[in-house]
Amino acid sequence: MCSAHPVGILREAASPGHVESRGLTRRFGRTIAVHPFDLDLGPIEGRDGKAGAIIGLLGPNGSGKSTLLRMLLGLVRPDAGSARIDGVALEGDGTAVRRRATYAPGEIAMLGEMKGAEHLGWLLRGRERDASARATALAVELGLPLDARVRTYSHGMKRQLLLAAALAPRVRVRILDEATEGLDPSRRGEILRRLREDAAGGTTILLSSHHLGEVDRVCDVIVFMNQGRKIAQESALSLAERARRLVRLGFEEGADMRAVEAFFARQAGARVRIEGSRASVALEDGDPAAFLARALEARELPRPRAAQYGELSLAELYREIYGVEGC
Amino acid sequence: MGREIRICLVRALAASLVLEAMLAAAILFWPDFQANIPAILKMVPGKIMGGFVDAIVRGGASSYVVLQHFFKGCHMIGGATAILFASGAIAGESHRGTMEIWLARPVTRRRLLLERYALGAAAVAIPIFATSATIPWLCGFVREKVDLAPFLLGSAHESIFLLALYSLTFLFSALSSRPGPIAFGMMMFLALQFAFYLVMEATHASIFRFADLEDFLAILATGGLEWRVLLPLLLFSGACLYASLRVFARRVP
Repeated sequence: MCSAHPVGILREAASPGHVESRGLTRRFGRTIAVHPFDLDLGPIEGRDGKAGAIIGLLGPNGSGKSTLLRMLLGLVRPDAGSARIDGVALEGDGTAVRRRATYAPGEIAMLGEMKGAEHLGWLLRGRERDASARATALAVELGLPLDARVRTYSHGMKRQLLLAAALAPRVRVRILDEATEGLDPSRRGEILRRLREDAAGGTTILLSSHHLGEVDRVCDVIVFMNQGRKIAQESALSLAERARRLVRLGFEEGADMRAVEAFFARQAGARVRIEGSRASVALEDGDPAAFLARALEARELPRPRAAQYGELSLAELYREIYGVEGC
Repeated sequence: MGREIRICLVRALAASLVLEAMLAAAILFWPDFQANIPAILKMVPGKIMGGFVDAIVRGGASSYVVLQHFFKGCHMIGGATAILFASGAIAGESHRGTMEIWLARPVTRRRLLLERYALGAAAVAIPIFATSATIPWLCGFVREKVDLAPFLLGSAHESIFLLALYSLTFLFSALSSRPGPIAFGMMMFLALQFAFYLVMEATHASIFRFADLEDFLAILATGGLEWRVLLPLLLFSGACLYASLRVFARRVP
């Protein structure tokens, strides 16, 4: 169901701000953490002519998101495939790629004996000189006590310190793993607002999360992963539109669900998924209300107990379409 | 880099203080030892230990200081610091969970590893040279006059010996995520090697033959380094470092 060329994505090869991979694969022993993975994402032309994008990489825990991000940055060597970040090919230990992109890891483990300001400087080793000053200013704006030792920081404060270091350097690509995990709602909103501003300035942000509801409102494109595979890649607008065109029907226990499946399979432009006594029908186009009204009039369809459309979150949409839990 | 240098200096200072205390105590004990050499010769067990005392009888204060400083102090404290500093060098980052932020910066892995190796090795070697440099001054308190140069050469020999031990432990650290078991295992290995050294029939199988009392006495006598012994140690250290680089290049954070 992956759309090969997402709407609105610029297609120039190796152009600034692009994140590309071809067949990127990683195994850990017998387990394939990431199956051959293709990506081609980059800035989207906005109405004001500025290009930038927030790309959500979403999937349940253990779906391979972190391994994929680590491979893109050269932190984990791929077993096969290639990648290119901001026009630079992933080679060797990935240092060239990491000069073009910043990274905030999902795991929060820091050097507790350091003071906040010193830790920022340590995290920004190898970056341009004024990155440290910008990171310090950002950390101060976020209210972090930079003269206190990091071991005294809360989980959320450590997360923000990592984000301050990842947002400060002048790069075209930022890769943020679980960037809002552990933040309280107001702080999460503040961080997402800053990411939106950063993207509006021309930066491509690859933002992973296992919680779709947290990031779906800021993402321009969403790549959905499950069990190491890309199962969908769509623009957020297109996804929202699909969510509005999903019809869910609940039937009595013992209802003839094969008849339900057969009925919807005959309908043009409808894709049905049966789970127990429930049916989810994804419409390619058209008005879900009219479709539902026609379906309820059909004699061969068992009488549903409940019907719902146009009220689904994206997380529900994925659960209904792909049967993936955990987002 | 500043953090790494600071850690290196703190470790070097701590090891120097312990070594210096041991060295000062040993040198200040020299007059009593000298006065009781006949009695000590009767008491000392085994041919190897007897050989130590014989060497002191022949060489005087310099031989005594070499035995106390290099063979006792540096082998014990230097060996322990080499193992402790190396075991946590890479495995410690993994154990603390900080490997990912360490590697995520735009700095090559090769450079990160070489910096850590060099600074750890410096933290092992600096105390040996620093404390050896105080030997002529300390000997003045017991009215003995000794030259500095042979002790600095002895420090170089001891440092190269400990570098081999450090490099082997460093390789294990590059392979593992648990510094504790590496340190414990290497300490046990070192203790076993010392036990081998003291047994006449097994002494040839001990790594301490690479930094034997005879080697240090030869330095005192000739004023030159024993490259026949040191070259294999340097080659071994180089091989361990090369293997560490290879392992580290593919390491998953």
